[in-house]
Amino acid sequence: MRKTGINYKKRKKIYNILANTILFLFVFFAIAPILWMVATSLMTQNEIVTGKYTVPSHFENYIEMWQNINFFQYFKNSVIICASTTAVALIIATLAGYAVARYKFPGSNLFGATVLATQMVPGIMFLLPLYLMFIKIQETLGIRLINTYPGIIIVYSAFFIPFSIWILRGFFASIPVELEEAAIIDGCSRIGAFVRVVLPLARVGIIATGIYIFLMAWDELLFAWALTTSTDVATIPVGIRLYVGNYQNRYDLLMAAGCVTTLPVLIIFFGLQKHFITGMTAGAVKG
Amino acid sequence: MQHRKRRKIYKPELIKKEGLFTKIKKNKLAYLLITPAIIGMIFIHLVPIVSGILMSFLKLNQFTLKQFLKAPFIGLDNYKAVLFDPTSTIRSGFLDALRNTAIFGVICSVSVICISLLLAILLNRNFKLRGLARTLLMTPWVVPSFVVGMLWGFMWQNDGIINRVLVDILHILPKKPFWLTGPMVLVAIIIPTIWRQVPFVMLMFLAGLQQIPDEYYEAAKIDGANAWQRFRHVTLPMLRSVLSIQILNGIINYVYSFNIVAMMFGHGAGFPGKYGDLLMTNINRNSFQIWQFGTGAAATVIVMLCVMLLVAVWYKVFQDDLVVKDN
Repeated sequence: MRKTGINYKKRKKIYNILANTILFLFVFFAIAPILWMVATSLMTQNEIVTGKYTVPSHFENYIEMWQNINFFQYFKNSVIICASTTAVALIIATLAGYAVARYKFPGSNLFGATVLATQMVPGIMFLLPLYLMFIKIQETLGIRLINTYPGIIIVYSAFFIPFSIWILRGFFASIPVELEEAAIIDGCSRIGAFVRVVLPLARVGIIATGIYIFLMAWDELLFAWALTTSTDVATIPVGIRLYVGNYQNRYDLLMAAGCVTTLPVLIIFFGLQKHFITGMTAGAVKG
Repeated sequence: MQHRKRRKIYKPELIKKEGLFTKIKKNKLAYLLITPAIIGMIFIHLVPIVSGILMSFLKLNQFTLKQFLKAPFIGLDNYKAVLFDPTSTIRSGFLDALRNTAIFGVICSVSVICISLLLAILLNRNFKLRGLARTLLMTPWVVPSFVVGMLWGFMWQNDGIINRVLVDILHILPKKPFWLTGPMVLVAIIIPTIWRQVPFVMLMFLAGLQQIPDEYYEAAKIDGANAWQRFRHVTLPMLRSVLSIQILNGIINYVYSFNIVAMMFGHGAGFPGKYGDLLMTNINRNSFQIWQFGTGAAATVIVMLCVMLLVAVWYKVFQDDLVVKDN
């Protein structure tokens, strides 16, 4: 039953125009700051300070930012730390997520509840004791964890595992058990069925979780500031602060570095956007 | 929920009849699979949380830091210093941060949910540039939060672009306000937080909206419901489970908000001032700048208890919405 009167059509048209106007106003607010970051990254420091803007075309900033501070080292550290974290956390969370989704074992509810409860604890609650524990471990056992790759990778991996388990659990639960049973009847072992049947079917969810872990690790600040302070392991959020502060005020370079930092996540995200959006929303709606 | 049913079909009666030991033996593989996760969670979650709570009863400052858990036990003195002692500087800073975080959290939660819902509804139509609009609206969420803090800190500067647009170009304000000092700081931290959080929540609402069958709206139309009534009696009830999860997410996110604010002021070294300091920046500064780990731990425990209380209230209110109904 559709109303077809001219009045109705007219109202519908007005509604659509209004809706699009509001929507694109928000689109403008969403991207304007990002465009401004790109624009200022192509200005000279002088233009930024005086406000006498010309057409942003000072591409030299993108060369100077690597020379002004050792940004490449920070970038490399971030890539190594985030990629390793993603790999470690994803493998461990996939195994555990599968176990929680498929088995009802004594303690499975407690495990599930613990996984969720960890999300209520603030990062600083872990950081203060961990920082002192790491110092203690170094003193007594001689194992260096502060300012080393393994130290921060262990912390990040463990930190992102609970949430990843929670998302992955939903994906594994949505795969029919019958498929695995069929594979087992056909002669697959349990593990064989998991690797050959379940993993390929859960691919979207695993990719989504992986992107999520990488984005979170790339974005992590609190632990990085305390646990990676020397240049050889410090991540981007630690290093990027050197452009502005006590010794210099190079907002042009800071913005260029901001663009360079955003670019990899932008590429990863929009390259795999379809997987990510189906993955995240499926997990979220199923709860 | 499909998987629950299926799990029951899987081995229904067996579970109840068996003894605990057989059950454990039967699920060997499951225990093996969760072992790595459990080891990680024990060492990086459980041990630190327990020692963190212990630390809140110890006198831990720059002189006793190295003693860790062997530092002198002082009972509830840290809690007193944070909450009750009127002479303690920690207390006034903490109370300011508590007030700011409360205001910040309420404003951010409400605005993020309203804006996201509006945008999700506007996106959930057929129009030409839909894909483009969604992609562009998503971008703020992809920008790393420390870059967001840095960028907005730069834009809020007294001669930054925001003041230039508001005062020099649009003439909305008579003179350039100071966004990064004084009472306006709270505005300066709320806006970027909303800006970055909206896309994600919008995406969740959009997914929820797409699950509502068109027939519901058709039926409501036939019954003569107008647009508002359709929103009120079809859309909102169908979105309750997404909404409740996003509210929980909001509580945890905003109370523990750190990155954007920390990066905006002196890039982590600065102080947002008594009008803009949040709980996490306050605790982090007191811990790592003046090395008061004991009071830091006590303050964290207090914040954590507040969050647990909020989550308990949230659970009471939204309990019924969490069960996803099978069609």
